[in-house]
Amino acid sequence: MSQIVLQAENLTKIYRSAENQLVVLDQISFSVEQGNSISIIGPSGSGKTTLLGLCAGLDTPSSGVISLMGFRLNTMSEDDRAYIRNLYVGFVFQNFQLLSTLTALENVMVPLELRGEKNVADKAKDLLNRVGLAARMQHYPSQLSGGEQQRVAMARAFITDPKILFADEPTGNLDEENAHHITELLFGMNKEQGTTLVLVTHNLELAQRTQRILRMKGGKLVQEVYSQAFGIGH
Amino acid sequence: MIEYVIKIKRKTKSIFRDAWVWRMAWRDARHNYSRLFLFTASLITGIAAVVALDSINYSLQADINNNAKELLGADLVVNGEKKFNKELQTVFDSLDYPQASEADMASMVLFLHNGQSRLIRLVAVKGDFPFYGKIETQPADAYSRMKQGSYAMMDETLASQYEVSSGDSIRIGNSVFKVSGVVSKIPGGGGLMATFTPSVYISLDDLDSTGLVQYGSRVNYKQYFRIASEKQTKETVDKIKPLIRKHGYSWETVEGRKEGLGRGFLSIYQFFSLLAFIALILGCIGVASSVHIYAREKREEVAVLRCIGSSGWQAFNIFFIQIFILGIIGSIVGSFLGVGIQQLIPLFLKGVVPFEIGFTLSWKSLLMGLGLGAVVSVLFSILPLVSVRFVPPLTVLRTDFQAGRIFSKTKITALVLIGIFPVAFAALQTRSWLTGLMFFAGLVAALICLTGVAMLLLMLVKKFFPYRAGFIWRHSLSSLFRPNNQTRVLMVTIGLGAFIISTLNIVERSMLGQVEFTGQENQSNTILFDIQPSQRDGVVKLMKDNKLEVNQVVPIITCRLSELKGRSIESLQKDTTDKIPNWALTREYRVTYRDSLHRSETLIKGEIQKKKTSRDSVWVTISEGMEENLEVKLGDSLVFDMQGVPVKAYIGGVRKVEWPKDPPNFIFVFPPDVLENAPQIFVTATRINDQQQANRFQQALVMQFPNVSLIDLRLILSTVNELFDKLGLIIRFLALFSIVTGLVVLAGAVINSKFVRIRENVLLRTVGARTRQITKITLIEYAYLGLFSALTGMILSLGGGWLLTRFFFEITFAFDWLELLIIGAGVVLLTVAIGWFNSREVINTPPLQVLRKES
Repeated sequence: MSQIVLQAENLTKIYRSAENQLVVLDQISFSVEQGNSISIIGPSGSGKTTLLGLCAGLDTPSSGVISLMGFRLNTMSEDDRAYIRNLYVGFVFQNFQLLSTLTALENVMVPLELRGEKNVADKAKDLLNRVGLAARMQHYPSQLSGGEQQRVAMARAFITDPKILFADEPTGNLDEENAHHITELLFGMNKEQGTTLVLVTHNLELAQRTQRILRMKGGKLVQEVYSQAFGIGH
Repeated sequence: MIEYVIKIKRKTKSIFRDAWVWRMAWRDARHNYSRLFLFTASLITGIAAVVALDSINYSLQADINNNAKELLGADLVVNGEKKFNKELQTVFDSLDYPQASEADMASMVLFLHNGQSRLIRLVAVKGDFPFYGKIETQPADAYSRMKQGSYAMMDETLASQYEVSSGDSIRIGNSVFKVSGVVSKIPGGGGLMATFTPSVYISLDDLDSTGLVQYGSRVNYKQYFRIASEKQTKETVDKIKPLIRKHGYSWETVEGRKEGLGRGFLSIYQFFSLLAFIALILGCIGVASSVHIYAREKREEVAVLRCIGSSGWQAFNIFFIQIFILGIIGSIVGSFLGVGIQQLIPLFLKGVVPFEIGFTLSWKSLLMGLGLGAVVSVLFSILPLVSVRFVPPLTVLRTDFQAGRIFSKTKITALVLIGIFPVAFAALQTRSWLTGLMFFAGLVAALICLTGVAMLLLMLVKKFFPYRAGFIWRHSLSSLFRPNNQTRVLMVTIGLGAFIISTLNIVERSMLGQVEFTGQENQSNTILFDIQPSQRDGVVKLMKDNKLEVNQVVPIITCRLSELKGRSIESLQKDTTDKIPNWALTREYRVTYRDSLHRSETLIKGEIQKKKTSRDSVWVTISEGMEENLEVKLGDSLVFDMQGVPVKAYIGGVRKVEWPKDPPNFIFVFPPDVLENAPQIFVTATRINDQQQANRFQQALVMQFPNVSLIDLRLILSTVNELFDKLGLIIRFLALFSIVTGLVVLAGAVINSKFVRIRENVLLRTVGARTRQITKITLIEYAYLGLFSALTGMILSLGGGWLLTRFFFEITFAFDWLELLIIGAGVVLLTVAIGWFNSREVINTPPLQVLRKES
């Protein structure tokens, strides 16, 4: 039996204000096994991004349990969760989130440097080479196109050989050609490194490339579908 | 469900061992120089001001120590207001030390080459004075020729003012002297006194022939001694002290002069310390404000770092390292800049202090600047920077996500230390915790008032927002209220500079207002004094012959207090519980007698004794204010010593006196029939409107009544003006620190808000705005900011100026709208210029390029 990388149990997230409370996530439970890919889809405001944030330890649930690589994230301090992210998690965001003051190469090196590893430039260069940016390594984010920035973000996400990759609308800000390129890279590297993939998207076509699709509505998990691309029904 | 219970073991590295944070600090700083410009500039300005002012204090102190002997010109000086009597003279003669004598008094001088005359301080010298220091004259032998007799020399300023050259003749009293030369430097001379009354020097042997020394003349006599050692000086003082005291003389040694000068300059030190304190605190505000903006801009970057595994402290350390290193660089630059400025300040102090201020490098000040810079950059950046530690990583997904309020021990510690810092710094500067606390309280009060006025102004702008104004005017105004604006901080800092300068202007105007009564009709502007009783009618006739109105002829009797409320002055002086100031008890009073009020007076308490029979007690009236100083009320008794004759009197009334109005005015006024037979002199006053008429009259007066002196109040007015020009220049120069800090904050805020402005401008350009319109919007926005800042400072300065003139200087509050408007316009122009200079890129960059940069 494959190892469970991510497990959510009765996850609930409530935002409280003085007058009322807003239930953003309501009793969500699911798990993801090592090497699997899963996409979370749903209309705007359905709670997809909140769920991704909780799963990645970027926020804590109001109730419920979230375990990542066996670590109970909701009982950990923010700094400990950051350490876990550095060890096991990779991120790809819709708006790339590169550090504007660092070159492409430096952006890719940062996660490994944070671990205290030395001589990381070669690995970063290799990854940038693989994403087709060998000639743009010393460029700053503002000197790169959207597609190029997302490729740098991909290289940064994969440099730590993450156990799990969280991608939030990775092609949302890109044109068709670049979106296609990024999708191919994402799934190619995912397969190559055996990384577990959790993808949040509006794009059904992209979602269908993952093994499972979780459909959300109004903060609830309303449907779980096994993608036809993998020959599995629901 | 599978549940792992794994304890993670994260190695936490200290800032010194975590190479990554240092690497990241460097990488991030490479392109952030301009963002931290505000921080560095604020620190440099603050530290430069502290080092400059502290060093100048140090130099002043060192110069006083070095120059005390030269300032006194001797080891010991005995002085008094009467000629040394035989007993004392015998003792002086018995002392085997080189001695010199001097007598000085007020007198008129008539310049025979042009017929002009002026009140001067006549100094008659004999012997080899000065024993220390040098008299510098032009020509070099002017002093030796003068001592031989029949020659006079005078202060350089006086000679140039009346175009006197060597060889010209002047008349003093009954004698005519040839001018031997001018004095450019003399021990104990120069300074502010020389501005008010320039000196003319003659030989002491010539003094009697002038006929100036008569009854009622105020002459100061001095005997200078050169004594071999400090020990012998002390022995000599001990020997002659009892006799000096017995006959009412006083003495001064080099040590005493040092202490006196130190006390005299204490207020200058404190003023400089206060300015240094304000500049530093403004610098601290600049530091905190810039780091606050910087930390807010770094929010997204920190969120990304947190996402990929950085701890809160690591993120904090990246920016802390940047700020600390820049803080050290800023402190070094600021300290050396301060040393540079220190060399400029003596130029402004020239003519105000009686010696030349040399340049003494104060290592203590330099080190203090460096240390202070490090402390300020740490202390005032921690508070705003600590928020970086708590940036939620979720911000990468939701930019508007705000974490809840987090308790931070670092924040609380920083807050406490920030509270202690200004008090400790001020206490260190003034060497007194109490003064430190007072400085701090004063600053807090000033900042609260400035903030209050700024908030009120902004509230009024919002309330009366000109919705009907054109788009450009409206948009510029609303830009002041954009998110993350620094409007209030800027209004307070620039306003503080405007406040200092306008308050100075108001005090200056009010003081000048006191002597500007010459412009009012029928008020005296010329006072004649030292008129002997025998000369009284002659002087009045001369005035009438010259068609001058005789406003009043007043008898003056000099006296001192010997008893107050039944107690002798000596016992009051010894009584430590008594709060009557010593000067009020021991001063010489010049009193008059009359049966009515003068037009400058109103009776506010009691009544005037119109007539006194031999059986009646003497009831005098006292001026308002002095009644409080002497702590007397109606009915209290006083005994006056009228040249040896005790006269007992009672307080019969209190007069409110408008001192500047139609002088002379008096503290004590006696009733008639009491002092008529006492030795007295007369004073008369008149009004002369025409300078030529004044010259003619003064010439005739000096010729006929050489001992009578004349004060031309218009000359005093111009002297006060000149004095303010000198003092004002220093204060304005130092207030500039405050303005510069405000402008640095402004420049930083402009740089930091550049991207917000770019976004706005792109939007405006997209909807069709032209460069000219965008330029206008930018300029008008800064004009508004400058205007509001100037208003903030000036509104407060009207209040501050009123308080100062009313309670500190006790003069009538006055200000000149035009001058205040010019100050305001200057502040607005500077603000617009700085704003414009830093906004050129934002305005001139094409929208596409801007959009590209934005992405």
